[in-house]
Amino acid sequence: MPPEKEVAIEMVNISKVYPDGVLALDKVSLTIYKGEIHGILGENGAGKTTLMRILYGNIKPTGGKIKVFGKEVSFGSSKDAIKIGIGMVHQHPSLVPVFTALENIYLGLPSNFKEQVSLKELIERTGIKVPLEERIEDVSLGIAQKVEILKVLYRGAEILILDEPTTNMTVEEVKEFFSTLRNLKKMGKTIIFISHKLKEVLDITDNITVLRRGKVSGSLPTSQATPEELAKLMVGREVFLKLEKQGSRPGEKILRVEDLWVKRNDGSWAVKGVSFEVRYGEIFGIAGVEGNGQSELIEAITGLRRAERGKVFFKGENVTNAHPLKLYTMGLAHIPEDRQKTGLILDMSVAENSILGIHRKRDFLRPMMIFNENKIKEHVERLIQQYEIVVSKINAPARSLSGGNQQKVVVGREFSKTPDLIIASQPTRGLDVGATEYIRSLLLKMRNNGKAVLLMSSDIDEVMGLSDRVAVIYEGEFMGISETSSVSEKEIGMMMGGYKMGEIGIK
Amino acid sequence: MDEAMLLSILLQTAYASTPLLLSSTGEILSERAGIVNIGLEGIMLLSGFVGVVVGQETLNPLLGILAGIGAGALVGLIHGMITAYMKGDHVISGLGINLFALGFVPYGIYAVWGVRGYFNPSDQAKVPKVFGVSPIFIASLVLVPLIYYILFKTRFGLSLRACGEDPHSADASGVRVERMQLLASVIGASFSGLAGVFMSLDWLTTITKDLPAGRGFIALAIVNFANWNPLLGLLGSYVFGFSWVAIEWLKISALKQVIPVTLLNTIPYLVTLAVTAGALGRSRPPKYAGVPYKKE
Amino acid sequence: MSLQLKLGERYKEILFSISEVALATLIGIGISAILIKAGGYSPTSAFFYLFKGAFGNLYGLYTSLSYSTPLMLTGLAFALSVRAGLFNIGAEGQVYIAALGAIIAASLALPSYLYLLAEFAIGIGLAVMWSLFAGILKVWKGVNEVVSTIMLNWIAYWVTEYSRSNIFYDPLSPDRTIRIPITGRLPILVENTQLYSGIFISLIVVIVTYVILWKTALGYEIRAVGLSPSASKYAGIKYSLVALEAFALSGLFAGIAGVMETIGRPPTYAIVTSLTNLVNLGFNGITVSLIGRNNPIGIIPASIFIGGLMAGATSMQIFAGVPLEMVQAVQGIIVMVLALPGIIRLIKSKIRRR
Repeated sequence: MPPEKEVAIEMVNISKVYPDGVLALDKVSLTIYKGEIHGILGENGAGKTTLMRILYGNIKPTGGKIKVFGKEVSFGSSKDAIKIGIGMVHQHPSLVPVFTALENIYLGLPSNFKEQVSLKELIERTGIKVPLEERIEDVSLGIAQKVEILKVLYRGAEILILDEPTTNMTVEEVKEFFSTLRNLKKMGKTIIFISHKLKEVLDITDNITVLRRGKVSGSLPTSQATPEELAKLMVGREVFLKLEKQGSRPGEKILRVEDLWVKRNDGSWAVKGVSFEVRYGEIFGIAGVEGNGQSELIEAITGLRRAERGKVFFKGENVTNAHPLKLYTMGLAHIPEDRQKTGLILDMSVAENSILGIHRKRDFLRPMMIFNENKIKEHVERLIQQYEIVVSKINAPARSLSGGNQQKVVVGREFSKTPDLIIASQPTRGLDVGATEYIRSLLLKMRNNGKAVLLMSSDIDEVMGLSDRVAVIYEGEFMGISETSSVSEKEIGMMMGGYKMGEIGIK
Repeated sequence: MDEAMLLSILLQTAYASTPLLLSSTGEILSERAGIVNIGLEGIMLLSGFVGVVVGQETLNPLLGILAGIGAGALVGLIHGMITAYMKGDHVISGLGINLFALGFVPYGIYAVWGVRGYFNPSDQAKVPKVFGVSPIFIASLVLVPLIYYILFKTRFGLSLRACGEDPHSADASGVRVERMQLLASVIGASFSGLAGVFMSLDWLTTITKDLPAGRGFIALAIVNFANWNPLLGLLGSYVFGFSWVAIEWLKISALKQVIPVTLLNTIPYLVTLAVTAGALGRSRPPKYAGVPYKKE
Repeated sequence: MSLQLKLGERYKEILFSISEVALATLIGIGISAILIKAGGYSPTSAFFYLFKGAFGNLYGLYTSLSYSTPLMLTGLAFALSVRAGLFNIGAEGQVYIAALGAIIAASLALPSYLYLLAEFAIGIGLAVMWSLFAGILKVWKGVNEVVSTIMLNWIAYWVTEYSRSNIFYDPLSPDRTIRIPITGRLPILVENTQLYSGIFISLIVVIVTYVILWKTALGYEIRAVGLSPSASKYAGIKYSLVALEAFALSGLFAGIAGVMETIGRPPTYAIVTSLTNLVNLGFNGITVSLIGRNNPIGIIPASIFIGGLMAGATSMQIFAGVPLEMVQAVQGIIVMVLALPGIIRLIKSKIRRR
């Protein structure tokens, strides 16, 4: 680093131990220079967000020092951080959905607030153009991110923390977004860019700090970094393990979806005429950036949301808008996207959750709908043993389990239905490596046993690694369906950004 | 129908609507900030009582009105502390307010005046008319557009509504959510307080435990019906208010041959049921109304 | 060992609930003491006679138990709704309308052995219907059940009051309805007290409800809907059906309470002017339910406690001069305190922070 560069932030030996004894950060030190874009790279749970929330004053560190522009600081809350010019843009923007962009920018300004530059001038200088009079709920997440950045800058932020800002952006949006960031850099703003996406970090940053399990595993200028090197620092092993996969022997069709149209809660179209089929003995993957209609598609197929038009056939029978129970009895199982809201009832016990949706099965009942508690106990203990669920007792509320163990309860319960088709939505989201691999192997085993899997995930690696065939959904339409072996990740990525398969030259 | 009678019906409707209007306007403000208070009925009753006590003791109706508003504000303060700061259940706290008022007021009537059931304040304690009409009625017509203006045309209103729509974002933007909610709860409840004294010292000039007679809950229905908009609340309140006038009207009409007078008393409640059942579906409550806001 | 652990934690939880309720009660008594003092009465003598009237002698105890009889059921009506995620405060009106049903039955010319059956059938039938009005409005039209049940309470009040004064009045004593015929009454349990045999019916209903809620698929579905509408939909549970079941069961419980109060409690066996012998039974059930932590088993002691307040109130009024409505105010304060989640934990964490 050229010595004349001014240090914006210095964090020294920052540690964080949560009350439950989890060591989230272990003596993390890092230096960020003024006017640079600094990447913080790491897997889910590496401690990136915790570190940044400490810098932003949301969380108090257990140990360590923070200096901002040379002065040691100690934040009581994020308000103190904002005061000295630190702004944070969260993954989900802190904007009120029913307010316009402008109202959101003005919201909560202190009465003695003096603007450094007028909003108009700020927009001109940064080149961040947003529709100021539109409601946030009517604009894309990409635009909302920009509104949030504008809002933070308007309040005088010199240091911007961006937490996974591109998660919900299309390829095009990311490109535009990066040019905005370069603009801000030119204006002398310091930007901290948190991500787990190697390519983006390599593209936009000047320096990179890599975190692994709460420790700094490496720190280097971007010019000296390679993707392989970064991946190694990030996961601590040379390459991602490819799952063992035998060739598929697809059989008969089990699920057929014909020209399906589904609405969102707000009445807009989420799914616009999607058709596909899933066969016995294959994993059919649906990839796509979140919010492109895949959730509504799965809900419509599984009977949780009305299909407005089109048909769904399961095992040859027309099951369009059938009741979920009917689908379950026909041999369908569903690992829902949101385990905490849909897959489980957190205030019920593990035992009660283990029979959710099968609670009227004759095995579990005595006459008069009275539960046969012995049978339920046997059932839940079998799940705990088979799926290695860590749980203090079967009567503990599901809330008390870790995310991975919660998901195992859902997965175990769904597999216990011995389904012919399992629909898995984001089955490994937020889980640690061990649980992730375990759940993936279960899905593969299911397919190897000749059953069918419909996998919806926004994790490209997951979809590509598991699926035999893959479809990419973009704004409610399939951009293409292909054998996984005949498309590259890059091509999938382009389709996720709205290019039709024909346009990028795949047949 | 002659002019005098029409005027009389209009005025009666205005008075019957005023408590509904005040109470629902206050609740709209409160719910816009995220605080649901189903204790409006109890607040009206308590404030009506406190207003009569102070008005009668001092023979000063203005002090009576202020005391009634103050009692409402106090209940709003307690409710706000319970819900905004201590994250208590909004509905249960409101139920508690109603139960308390239902017991405290008849107790108080006996404790203060030694009578059971009801007490009528003397004439000096009653609110005098201004230009022949009730000043509180006039105030209600000023307050409603004022609240509308504050809610939708000012920075303060923006911050207040943000607390009911998305308290996390409001907090992140620098709004002090809990303080704002407490304030909204206090102001909102003092509106019901004013509604209470309006009934006890101005319109009906009596205090009994049946003073609000369900108006607090009808006001809740109006909040819904009005889609949390004070101007629509004005419309709703007058529709519902008219149903009370209609009873008095029907009691002297030929209809009393067909429907007995006691049964006519059910009209306001039937109207409320019918209107809410017919009008719902398009209203959209503030997203976090009634949901305790917990910081991460 | 695991069993021991389980029992230990279960006890801890129960102890916790009890200490919370005890604290809420203390706060309620404390604040009301101030209010009693402010009214110019003596709080010590008020609470002395309140307690004495409630539990100080056998007669008081029997009276307390007699009031707990309907309260157990109205408490259960509220608790069951809350478990299904509904704030159904319509028990008050359902009690009125069920009582009216019993009087309707009494007005019929029936063989004497049929009166009891007819009273329960008509009373419960009307109460369930009344409750289902609110249920249907909720399920089909999305009408908030707090508003609809209160409106129905008022309608029930005026309909019953009308029927009392215009249809079923006793020509010899027009301030009340005709009386329930002797063969249509529930037997008294202890002579010269108000304790009637209905308490056994209440206890049985409470225990059956406990079993339904925690040991059957029906109860599982009710609780699932209350805890997580989205997960229960995923589990194939039909929300509207479960909600209607909850409304119907609430109506059933309140209905039994209304019928029994009319045909069981001596000496009136009728509905009196302004329904004073029925008023507040439904609302007091809310307190009972909240004190019992919306758990049927917890409702039993809670109903005896609130029944005690009702019983003791009269003696407080006679001997200490404090108007009996004060106990209603105490309940309101207790409920407001119980609105706080885990109040003991809250206080503990505040203390620790200092």
